[in-house]
Amino acid sequence: MNDEQTRARFEALLLPLMNEAYNLARWLMKNQEDAEDVVQESYLRAFRFFAGFREGTNCRSWFLRIVRNCCYTALEARNVKKNEVPLDFEADDIPDTSPLPSAHLAQKATVEVVREAVAALPVEFREIVVLRELEGLAYKEISEVSGIPIGTVMSRLARGRHQLYLILSKQTEHGRL
Amino acid sequence: MTCQDCRDFIDAYLDNELDVSTAVHVRQHMHGCSDCQELLESRRVVQTLLGNPQVRFEVPATLFGKIQSVLPAASSSAKQQTRARSGVPWLSVPLALAAAVIVLLGLAFLYQTGILDRWPGNSLETEVISNHVRSLLATHLLDVPSTDQHTVKPWFAGKLKFSPPVQDFAENGFRLIGGRLDFIDGREVAAVVYQRNKHVINLFIWPSESNRSTAAQTFAKDGYNVVHWTRGGFQFWLVSDVNAQDLRDFAELEMQRS
Repeated sequence: MNDEQTRARFEALLLPLMNEAYNLARWLMKNQEDAEDVVQESYLRAFRFFAGFREGTNCRSWFLRIVRNCCYTALEARNVKKNEVPLDFEADDIPDTSPLPSAHLAQKATVEVVREAVAALPVEFREIVVLRELEGLAYKEISEVSGIPIGTVMSRLARGRHQLYLILSKQTEHGRL
Repeated sequence: MTCQDCRDFIDAYLDNELDVSTAVHVRQHMHGCSDCQELLESRRVVQTLLGNPQVRFEVPATLFGKIQSVLPAASSSAKQQTRARSGVPWLSVPLALAAAVIVLLGLAFLYQTGILDRWPGNSLETEVISNHVRSLLATHLLDVPSTDQHTVKPWFAGKLKFSPPVQDFAENGFRLIGGRLDFIDGREVAAVVYQRNKHVINLFIWPSESNRSTAAQTFAKDGYNVVHWTRGGFQFWLVSDVNAQDLRDFAELEMQRS
């Protein structure tokens, strides 16, 4: 395959993933500018590693993993992570057995409130929730993208959703409609 | 199954990720346990709220161009090489060398195919021709192969924010063969693909800035003919290697019908 064909194949496979890549980056970086930078860098990295991409591999997982790793590198670089609430604290803080707020509260959440609630999740939960609910990945794919075992994917997804529900109920209860 | 087990499985149950027998056990437990039913309901609420397409972010219109500009050797659109960012901090020396080699190979290819002769020309016109050429080179001419306008039009409706006019002109010798999504000028556009004898015709359509209609203009470059006009709030760019008169006839047909 010559360079022209490689380039054409790269574009045909990866440009259609721009929307998914941008959304993942946008959710992880929490702002447009950084998300755009990360997506650009991801495309460049993907191009460099493209020779190692095997036919039959799940292209979406392969590329989103690059995007995800670029995000983490960028997040570490700007020290955002240290401002996030530590994972263990959050995890312990949610007793799964506490009585649930009634469903009709959360149901009323507006798009803005939903976005804010997702953004409020610690990044470790946020990425799993975004990959599942917004990108529509299967557990196996989420595991490939994040490099986290499926069991951990499941528990983080459970905690992420639970926490979202609590935040959404609280926000709508406080009249943020 | 206990409530604790059920809680552990409830997300996988919701996402259809459980094996059949475990799913049956979860369902049986849920049948007699209102707490777990409530928990499932809370998960469904979250899933429904997040499933709203508006929660997703819209891709900035400029991102596509930025991506093209960082990729080495933008083969199909020479003008973008001039936009390539300089001084990218993580661009290592070996990569720069590799990029240079790729650029040279790309230029050699462009020279050979005559694409370079057009550069630098009218940028949009050049880009439209480049996309036409690329659609023929790559195995990506059609996303939706169909000769039925009632299949192609709704396909676009689900993919784009606008609904382009799609018509078949088979009786006039321009047969609709399908459509695909393409990128021009940093935005997603509809490419409606036709065939005349053995020749492929790309009709690129996207919303125009104003509602003003403009008459058809014809350009010719390196054996490709381009007809451009604006009508009904859309920009139309017709590109092919069929002769200019035939292409103008096609444009006439399209304008009369829409």
